Amino acid sequence: MQHAWLIPALPLISFAVTGLFISPMSKRAAGVVATLSIVAAAVCAYALAWEYFTAYPAGHDHPALVPWSYEWLRYQPGLTVNVGVLVDPISVLLMIVVTTVSALVHIYSNAYMHGEYGFGRYFTFLNLFTFSMLGLVVAPNIIQMYVCWELVGVSSFLLIGFYYSKPSAVAASKKAFIVTRFADLGFLVGVILLSYWGFKLYPDWTTQVGAAQNGLSHVQPVDFAYLNHPAFLEQFAGLGATFIGINLLTLAMVLVYMGAAGKSAMFPLHIWLPDAMEGPTPVSALIHAATMVVAGVYLVARLFPAFAFSGTALMVVACVGAFTSLFAAVIGTTQDDIKRVLAFSTLSQLGYMMLALGVSTADHAMGYTASMFHLFTHAFFKALLFLGAGAVIHAVHTNSIWEMGGLRKKMPITHITFLIATLAISGIWPFAGFFSKDEILASALGNGHTFIFGVAMLVAGLTAFYMFRIYFVTFWGPHRTHGADHAHEAPALMWMPMAFLAILSAVTGFVPMGQYVSMGEHEAHHGVNLAIAIPATLVALLGIGVAAFLYIGDGSRATTLAARLGVIYQAIKQKFYFDELYLFVTHKIIFRNIARPIAWFDKKVVDGGVDASGWITRTSGLLLSYLQTGQVQTYGLWFTGGIAFVVLVLWAALV
Amino acid sequence: MISDATYTVMFYGLSATVILLALLAVNARQLLRAALGLMGMLALSAGLYVMLRAEFLAGVQILVYVGGIVVLIVFAIMLTRSSELLEDHPAKLTRILGATFSIMFMLIACYALGTTKFTESESTQAVRDEVRDIGLALLDRGANGYLLPFEAISLLLLVAVIGGTVVARKTPPKHQPFTTGGDLRGETVAHPPLVQDDEHVVESKS
Amino acid sequence: MTELLARFAPGLHEWLTLCAVLYAIGLYGLLTRRNAIAILMAVEIMLNAAALNAVVFNRFVTPNEIDGHIMAIFVIVMAAAEIVVGMAIVVSLYRLRASVDVNQMNSMKG
Repeated sequence: MQHAWLIPALPLISFAVTGLFISPMSKRAAGVVATLSIVAAAVCAYALAWEYFTAYPAGHDHPALVPWSYEWLRYQPGLTVNVGVLVDPISVLLMIVVTTVSALVHIYSNAYMHGEYGFGRYFTFLNLFTFSMLGLVVAPNIIQMYVCWELVGVSSFLLIGFYYSKPSAVAASKKAFIVTRFADLGFLVGVILLSYWGFKLYPDWTTQVGAAQNGLSHVQPVDFAYLNHPAFLEQFAGLGATFIGINLLTLAMVLVYMGAAGKSAMFPLHIWLPDAMEGPTPVSALIHAATMVVAGVYLVARLFPAFAFSGTALMVVACVGAFTSLFAAVIGTTQDDIKRVLAFSTLSQLGYMMLALGVSTADHAMGYTASMFHLFTHAFFKALLFLGAGAVIHAVHTNSIWEMGGLRKKMPITHITFLIATLAISGIWPFAGFFSKDEILASALGNGHTFIFGVAMLVAGLTAFYMFRIYFVTFWGPHRTHGADHAHEAPALMWMPMAFLAILSAVTGFVPMGQYVSMGEHEAHHGVNLAIAIPATLVALLGIGVAAFLYIGDGSRATTLAARLGVIYQAIKQKFYFDELYLFVTHKIIFRNIARPIAWFDKKVVDGGVDASGWITRTSGLLLSYLQTGQVQTYGLWFTGGIAFVVLVLWAALV
Repeated sequence: MISDATYTVMFYGLSATVILLALLAVNARQLLRAALGLMGMLALSAGLYVMLRAEFLAGVQILVYVGGIVVLIVFAIMLTRSSELLEDHPAKLTRILGATFSIMFMLIACYALGTTKFTESESTQAVRDEVRDIGLALLDRGANGYLLPFEAISLLLLVAVIGGTVVARKTPPKHQPFTTGGDLRGETVAHPPLVQDDEHVVESKS
Repeated sequence: MTELLARFAPGLHEWLTLCAVLYAIGLYGLLTRRNAIAILMAVEIMLNAAALNAVVFNRFVTPNEIDGHIMAIFVIVMAAAEIVVGMAIVVSLYRLRASVDVNQMNSMKG
């Protein structure tokens, strides 16, 4: 466990070595080295998980350990920021997810990206991303979390814009970066608020409670262990200080949630994720489905006690999550681009996880477990869906589902694995999604959020519908295009990771998550709550049935239905015109009224000032150069005058 | 011995003449006239040396300055044909500034001299053998002697003589001195062979 | 009359003033003349003033010593050496550029 630092360090070393030395020499070697490093990191993560859960077996207390930390920034006594590795159930869980999916995506990419321009660069960035994500996951304090948070943002930006000669990819990467940066502004303010008050209240807290007494003797004011501690939260929430009538704790948590919402693409900051599909498909699988986008969920889970202490902040989380999941699911039913459907599905599922966190309370934290469970299972089946979509795109050379069709026979392995993932996300027994979704629904109902439960139920149906819609359109029916006609199975390097993920998607549901990841009281694993499972399954089956009814065959029924829905269908298909709304706001309002005056000020005043200083220097130099006539006599003249002047000045000064 | 009154008259008379001649030397537009002023000024300075009881120096002054330096200057004036040309008046601004600064310099020096208290003393020797004293001092190797500076200055003179010869010698056109700057060459082109004659003269002289 | 004149017998300060005046005249010439030879002549005036200064101090401050005279001799020798080299340069310059106007000697111009 002392070697836990290896897990993020391996990708970092590999990133540097691959990027600097191997990639310029051999592209193939870069892919191999990058992949091996991640596989090694994955092995380390499994070893760590084994060690941790052997030491603290299921059903017992799971303490948060910091087996390795290093003093990074020392501001003043009592305020030190460390880099370290935090080992607790959710970080172990995330480490497994990240390293597994990343390793599989690396393997898959060796085949998928074969022959692409920038092969070495691709793997370098992928390694950078994996390092950043692992650094984020193991962060024991909010500063390291923030730093890695930005690093994953950067690597996401780099990978979305991987095909940088394509204008749409450039625009998408810019969009993703700017939107998440905007959200991170909120996160940053939240971090500052938390660490400022954390430091301010620190001495009081240590004297009152006694850090050692709580087993937190070496805790810094920015550590999660401190920020989540009830004693600190009580003091922080109890501060009389408010900002526009909002309690400071609530404000800080809502700001932190803003960052989480940006990264996890919650409404209204969701607009970047669908466009992020411009990146290579394995990148979408790794970053924009399985790992980076769940960082927001992870952050909320990480600070869950603090969120729970401020009920308002948690309520915000729940409402935004529920709305996003419904909103995205509705849009997902109409999209034609297979990756976009998956992107909206990701949005919807992320909303689900947020919702699950939001409906929890400190005492009844089943939703917390459910959220982490869903995060865990979703990572596998969503990565599988993306990899499957990638295999299909690789074979058919198009993203539009209407140009595919009938691939069932052409690509049997891809078909089977995709079907498993689709069943998993739809929540059909015995696949993984069934269990985690069931738990989320149970937690929503269990804590009395009936309305949110209804929304979640509806979303479950919609999810089954749109997932089977693309399944049927892609794999059933006639070959709609020449490309689909000539498709053939993906190479072994591609289907093997898919098969592995398919197995995981099928079996991870049986992990007794409640015994490993829990908050507060240990609740016995509920098992399957039939009162919820049966209606949920029925809803899912209904969705599948509708999809089958509409889309098996030539799809004319769907066209008729779309025509009948008219304006509503168009609005949904255009994603409720949110992109247009944002463009209007940014271009017409912000650019015109704020950015332009600022640009003018910058050009005329700031640049003008700089230019003026240059001009003054140049002109004075030019003027002074006239003094250098080359005439020794003139020099002598000034020399003599100078002597006289100096003597007079000295006399005036001394006498 | 001359009386104090005579001494006074001589001093002011000589001083006034020397100053006037010096002014002539720095102001005359005709260089030969200026050289003449310089010669007179230097010659009369010898009189001032006599008044300071430096008779040997007065002789040296006449010999070296009037007999050597002024003659050399006159030669130079003739060689460069400056005698035939009236010198351009300097720019008015240069003259005003030069005069201002010179006068300021003089006033400062006079003020400094006037406010400084020197410890004067009278000679104890009734008669003084100046030449003998100078000779002894120049060849004295002791702490107050001037043997080393004397040798050094003789070396300087030797170097000056050789240097003057080398610099003034007619050089083959291949490696001309003073061709460092581009505009120098431009000037040479601008005033072509005006010099032919003089080169001939210089060579015959040297 | 004689007494009156005797009362104005020149002392150290009068002599030094004379030197300063001569020096300033030389300086004026140095700064304003445009002909290189004339400039050298002005330098001679200054050197002469300096030599005279040395002798004046010798006469009034240390009349039993001879150092001032030695200094004056050195100055005269220096002047001779200087005029030799100076004139050689002037002649050489003149051959090269057909002019001894220092206003045209501005190759040091920046």
